[in-house]
This record gives sequence, C-alpha cells and structure tokens, in this order.
Amino acid sequence: MAGELSGSSRRHVALRLLRRRLVQALPLMLGVVVINFVLIHLAPGSFLELMTAENQVSDPATVELLRKTYGLTDPLWLQLLKYIWALLHLDFGFSYRQNMPVIDAIAINLPATLLLMISSIALAFAVGVAAGVVASAKVRTLWDSLVSVVAMFFFAAPSFWLGIMMIVLFAVKLGWLPVGGMETIGGGGGIVDILRHLLLPTLALGLFYAAIYARVMRSSMLEVSQLDFVRTARAKGLSRRQVTLHHVLRNALLPVVTILGVQMGTVLGGSVVIESVFSWPGVGSLLFDSVSSRNYPVVLGIMVLGALVVIAANIAVDLVYMWLDPRIEIR
Amino acid sequence: MSNVTRRQFGTGVVGAGMVAAGLAGPAIAQEPKRGGTLVATWGGGEPQSCYVPSGGGSSPTFSSSKLFERLGNRRMDGAFEGELAESWKAAADFKSYTVTLRKGVKFHDGKEMTSEDVAYSIDQIWKKYAAAAALGEYAGTETPDASTVIVKFNKATPEFFFSSLVSGGVNYILPKHIYAGSDPVTNPANNAPIGTGPWKFKEWVRGSHFEYVKHDAYWRTGFPYLDKLIIRYLRDPASRAAALEAGEIHIGVFNPVAPPDIKRLTGTGKFVATSKGYEESVWSTSFECNTRNPIFQKREVRQAMFMAVDRALIARTVYYGYARPGTSPIFSLNKEFYTADIFRTDFDPKKAAALLDAAGYPKKGDGKRFTVNLLAAGWFTENGKIGSIVKQGLEDVGIGVNLTVPDRPTSIKRIYTDYDFDLAISNQSNPSEPVPATTQYYTSDGIKKGVPFRNASGFHTDEVDALVDKIRIETDPAKRRAMVVEFQKIVTREAPNLPLLELESITMASTKVQNHSNDPDYLAASWYDIWLAS
Repeated sequence: MAGELSGSSRRHVALRLLRRRLVQALPLMLGVVVINFVLIHLAPGSFLELMTAENQVSDPATVELLRKTYGLTDPLWLQLLKYIWALLHLDFGFSYRQNMPVIDAIAINLPATLLLMISSIALAFAVGVAAGVVASAKVRTLWDSLVSVVAMFFFAAPSFWLGIMMIVLFAVKLGWLPVGGMETIGGGGGIVDILRHLLLPTLALGLFYAAIYARVMRSSMLEVSQLDFVRTARAKGLSRRQVTLHHVLRNALLPVVTILGVQMGTVLGGSVVIESVFSWPGVGSLLFDSVSSRNYPVVLGIMVLGALVVIAANIAVDLVYMWLDPRIEIR
Repeated sequence: MSNVTRRQFGTGVVGAGMVAAGLAGPAIAQEPKRGGTLVATWGGGEPQSCYVPSGGGSSPTFSSSKLFERLGNRRMDGAFEGELAESWKAAADFKSYTVTLRKGVKFHDGKEMTSEDVAYSIDQIWKKYAAAAALGEYAGTETPDASTVIVKFNKATPEFFFSSLVSGGVNYILPKHIYAGSDPVTNPANNAPIGTGPWKFKEWVRGSHFEYVKHDAYWRTGFPYLDKLIIRYLRDPASRAAALEAGEIHIGVFNPVAPPDIKRLTGTGKFVATSKGYEESVWSTSFECNTRNPIFQKREVRQAMFMAVDRALIARTVYYGYARPGTSPIFSLNKEFYTADIFRTDFDPKKAAALLDAAGYPKKGDGKRFTVNLLAAGWFTENGKIGSIVKQGLEDVGIGVNLTVPDRPTSIKRIYTDYDFDLAISNQSNPSEPVPATTQYYTSDGIKKGVPFRNASGFHTDEVDALVDKIRIETDPAKRRAMVVEFQKIVTREAPNLPLLELESITMASTKVQNHSNDPDYLAASWYDIWLAS
C-alpha cells in the first residue's frame, strides 16, 4: 500500500516537474528565437545579396522583387513577429539555397547528427563512468594514474586533430575503417556498414566528454564513499562490490548526469567540427554552409531545433535525477 | 603547362610519378579498360544545386558539367572542336553564325536534341543567366530545321569570341521540354538534371555525394568507359588527402589537398599531381584600388601599391611555389593575347616610395604617408596570409594599413556592393577570351553595384571603353590581338586592378586513373573518356 502510494506520488511529482519545465521552456525558446534572429541579421551580408551575386542579378527591379518575395522589405521587428507566428504553425520557412522547405532540409540531415550525438554521449557516459569507478576503486595506484593521464590527454586533444589522427591510423595506415561518410557509397547502408563509419567520429567526439566524466566520476565516487550511509552499509557486512555498485555508484552519478544535460548543446556544437572532418552528412555541415551563405531560415531552424533538443535532454536529465535521488520528491 | 611548372615537375617537386605514370604514357600503352566506378572530389564543398543556370561557382559547374554538354569544346592544343555541334560558320559580315548540330544526340530521358533546345538554351538560359554579360549584342536565333541554328548579333562578332562562347562556362544545351514554362532557377530538374552528357544522374545524397551512371545512348559510341562516376564531397583538405591515400577517392581536381601533402602523396609513387587542365580557367589573386578614394585617383599611387608588394615572396611562402607573380590582366599562359611588353610594376619599394613622394604624399612626422583599409576576401584562406604580406610591404613604404579578412558574404558585400574598401585582395578566373570576362574590370559597363567579380575599383576611361568596344567587334584576329596588347599596356600603366599572382591549380590522381587532365578546363569537362586501370 505504502509502495503504491509512493509510486503514484512519484508519478505525480514527475508530471508536475514535466509541466513546470515545459512552461519554463516557452520563454526560453522565445529568447532563443529572438536572440538568434537579431544576431544573424546583425551580421554583414545577406542571403539575398549572395543569391543575386551567385546568379549575377544586377537589375534593381529584379532585386526589389526578390526582396518582396522573401519578405525583406518589412522592418526587422515585423519580420521577427512573422517568423514567430510561422513557427507557432510549425512553419520554419523556405530555404532558397536548397530550394525546399527548411524543415525538409533539416530533416535530411538531422538523423545523422542525432545518431552521432547519441552514440558519442553514450560512449562518453559508459567509458567515463567506468574509468571514474576504476580510478576511485584503485585510488593512488597505477590504474588511477593511468586513468588520469589518459583522461587528461583526451581532454587536452582538440577533437579535429584527434579525428584526423584516427583517420590516419585506422583508415589510412591500418585500413580497418573508412575515412569518412556515413555509408559505403554505391553498396553500403546496412547496420554494420553504418556502425563502421560511425565508430571514428563517435570516438573523436565522445572521448573528450568521456575524459570529463571520468574525472568528475572519480572525485564524486571518492566523496560519496566517505559519507555515513556508505560506512553503515560496510558495517552491515555488505561486500565491497555491493557497496560500490548499489550505494556509492548511484549517488555518485548525480553530478555526471547533471553535466551531461548541460553539455548536450556543446555536443551539438562539437558535431559541426567532427562532421566536417569525417564528412558526416549531418546538421553540422548544413549549419556551416548556411552560416557561410547567410541562409537565415536554415540557421534559425537549426538553432530552434537544437534548443528543443537541449531542452528535451535537460527535462530527461531532471527525470533521471529524480529517479537517482528520491529526495528530490520532497523538495 | 608553363615552363616553370615543367621545371618544378622535372625537379621532383610533384614527383617522378607524373612522368612515369602520368598522362600520356600509360594511356597510349594500355588498351582502355571498360567498367568500374571512379570516385572523384574537388577542393571545395558541396554545391547549392547540382546545376545553377548562372554558373553559381566552381562546385555546381563541376557537378553539372558531367551531365550537360556544350555546342563546342576547346582542345588542349587551343583549337576549337564541335561537341553537340558538328560545326559553326560565320556569315560574311560576322553578324550571324550558322551552327550545324550533331544528329542522333539524345537526352537522358530518351528525347532527341534538336535546334529548338539550342534556341531555348541561348534565349532563355545563356542570355539571361549563363552568359548575360557576353551576350549584350545578341539579337536572337533562327531554327530553319531540326539540326540548324542561326545565332544573330546586332554587331560583328569575332570568331574567337563566338567559339569561346559556345565552348565555355556553363553554356550548356538544356532540354526545352523540361525547362520551358518554368523558372529555370528554381526548376526541380536542377537537382536531378537531364542532359546529353556521358553521365546520367542517379542520386544525390546531400552532405555526401552524387552518383552518376553511364549514359548508354551517349552519342560518342563506346563512351564512357566507366560504369559509374561518384562525386564525393569532403570539406577538409586533410580528410581528402587521407581518402586519396586510403584508396576511397581516385582523383581530386582544383587543389584537393594542402600543398605540403602534394609532395608527400606523390612521393609514395601511387599518385600523380599535375597543373594541366586549368589553361582555360586560370585563377588569379587580384589587388584592387578603390578609385573612389581621392588618394587612388592618382595613377602613381596605384602603381606604387603594386611595387611595394613582393609577389615572389607570396608565391614562395603562401603557395609553396604553386603560383607565379602576375604581370598583366591577361594571364601569361594565354597564347592568343598575352604580351610581356607591358608597363611593369615589379617589386621595387624604393621606386614605390619615390612615386608616392612625387604624388604629393611624403612621410609625415609619424612616419606614415596615409592610412588605408585593406580588405582580404576570406573565401580563400590564402587571401588572409597574402593580406599580411601586403600590409607589411605597404607599411615598409610608409603606408598605414588596417587589414580585415571578412567571410565570403561580408567580403562580397563590402567589395562589390558597398565599395567599402581602399584596397582589396580578391580573386578572378579568366578564360582565354578577354571580352567581357577580363575587360569588364576596367570598363564603365563593368561597374554594376551588387554584382560580384566585376569592376569594383570604379576605374574607367573613355580611352579604355572605346578600345574594348573595338575589341568586341574586330573580326580580324591579328588586328584584334594588337588591340588586346594595347589594352594590356594601358591598364598595367593605370594599375587600378592587377593580378598579384597567377595561381597554379593542381589535380591529384591515383596512378590508376587514365585519360585525365586532358581538357584545358578539366573541372568543367564531361570526363567521357576517363578510365581506371586494373
């Protein structure tokens, strides 16, 4: 009975948290849209100038017609209001460069980026946590030093350099893995083929975060293992393994989960570089091209969707946090 | 290829592989092998669209030129030959050209190419987009039958001009039945083109590659040799070098790898590097003086700007020797029109200082004569490095320099729309025919606000305008050459905009790749005869 009440109460708290986070997300999204809209319009050069330049259009009447077509004759504040209104109707605008709706252009590239982000975060989390646990369990031993040195290396190594070095070693010298792309051109596309292509970019992007998680996890494990409830668990005669896995690890994960949520945005940013090095056909490449061509609708579309991904990830982190630490219900 | 290039190749700069396994040798010795898939790349990014009617830059030209064809083609020996046209002949007054089309040419969808397609392409695509600047005197076409087109002009049109027009750029023959009645710029077929070329579009995996397959009904019987052509995009030069080395890419055109990697890759004996295949599309780094600034209205000041810059140093340090100092707006490989008999603005800081003194700009108390805003267009990373060397050179003769290296959209806006610069480092790509591609940088009709790669310096004189008008209509080749020589003498003396460097573009290919770099604009060639050795 008590357990049922506790479960129901937990669900209730979770729903309340979810509702609160969604309400908080609305002004956040509005801020993201307004700030990005203003920032990108402050940059010199516009997509219309680049478009007329590429098409060698010099006739003032044609340029004016294009300005009207793309709604650029309106004052900036009105353009912003129209953009927000369109967004509310899930209309992200039209990309002149790709000659298709923005949402379609992003949809072509988004799955590749999500795959890279999820695999990198998963790798970082698994490797980082495992390395942190090992380092804390073998504190002040060779293992601890080894984890520290390796973590320091991957933390200090720029991801683009790491990516190129891995290409040289695993693709060029050893020939084990492909240089880049997402699948073998003209004959790939199976799960194994995609995984082979995914491995190096995932390592290049994920190992940096794994290094952070390893360091945080180590110190968190050491801190938690000094707490009273751990001492009690040991006094009860639980094995070292049981104490570590069931008592210390779960509580030590809290700071790692917290920074994981915060870092979703930087992982998305990091994928721009990694996608370039590995020719990974994701949103990062699209974003790079779109910024270079002042393709405002696509840039804004990616920013808005990126913000949504980060917000969703942070809500998920909050829920996981609550699961890891039931005391959050009380607060 | 220039003598300088030959020497470089001979001394092993790009390896003995070029000689041993390069162009002519194996191709002559071996019977072409049929079948296989060639994977190619280039030194830039993915295009905005597979085909862009106005050209849209090198990337869409690279991707579309394998699917579409032109009426003519220029060979490596400089002669013009028919491609979709069997021949063309000028009328006695040179005001019209009769083009006889090749019969039996089919588009990829099976429809036969006729004079209607040619007339549509010239009227609706070339005149409005692809060759708008060159077709100022275009007066329409007649199509007396399915295989004859008469192209008319208001004024006499030189044969070299016409031959260059039908053989160059993106002056393709498009299928009228696909494009008529639509906006050619937004036609969906631009992303899955239907042409007459040796390759048929199969798919575009955005962010990754184009896949083309052999056009079985291609009019050149027995071609292409290969089954498939893949154009793959890798943004990073180091990744391209790795992909070449790993055998994932067979050939890269237009500087696919960083200069230090050229030596390394050719040193393995598995690759050749060549500067052949760029004779019709020589890129230069230009240095432009904004004559709207009163300081640069003085010719001596403009001349001094060029004399203060050590171009040989730039060629050595920024381009690792894959460039040569520029002298004339007509590039030095241009056999038809180049002359060395011009006003020289070679590196001479003392003379530059003297010219500035004489122009009324002596050094002031702070050691400076005046200060300028130098804009180095950021679309090529080398431009920023050149900007630093130019700044150093100008400061050495007492000119203060504020250097900025904006990105591509900002550079285009500041140079060609706002004219917001005193000196600009930009780039030009010049074919052999100087009108209008080269002359437009010096004439009043080249000043078109908002249109890039035109006359941004604002320089124009009645003398140059009149001379270019004469060049435009002179049909005697010898007289025309003399006029272009005169043009070079005037503009090198006036020095509003001159090339700092002529850039040497490089193609890097596996030794397995045969019959490559055999067209003077190889990036824009159809690659119908390329093949892969076992």
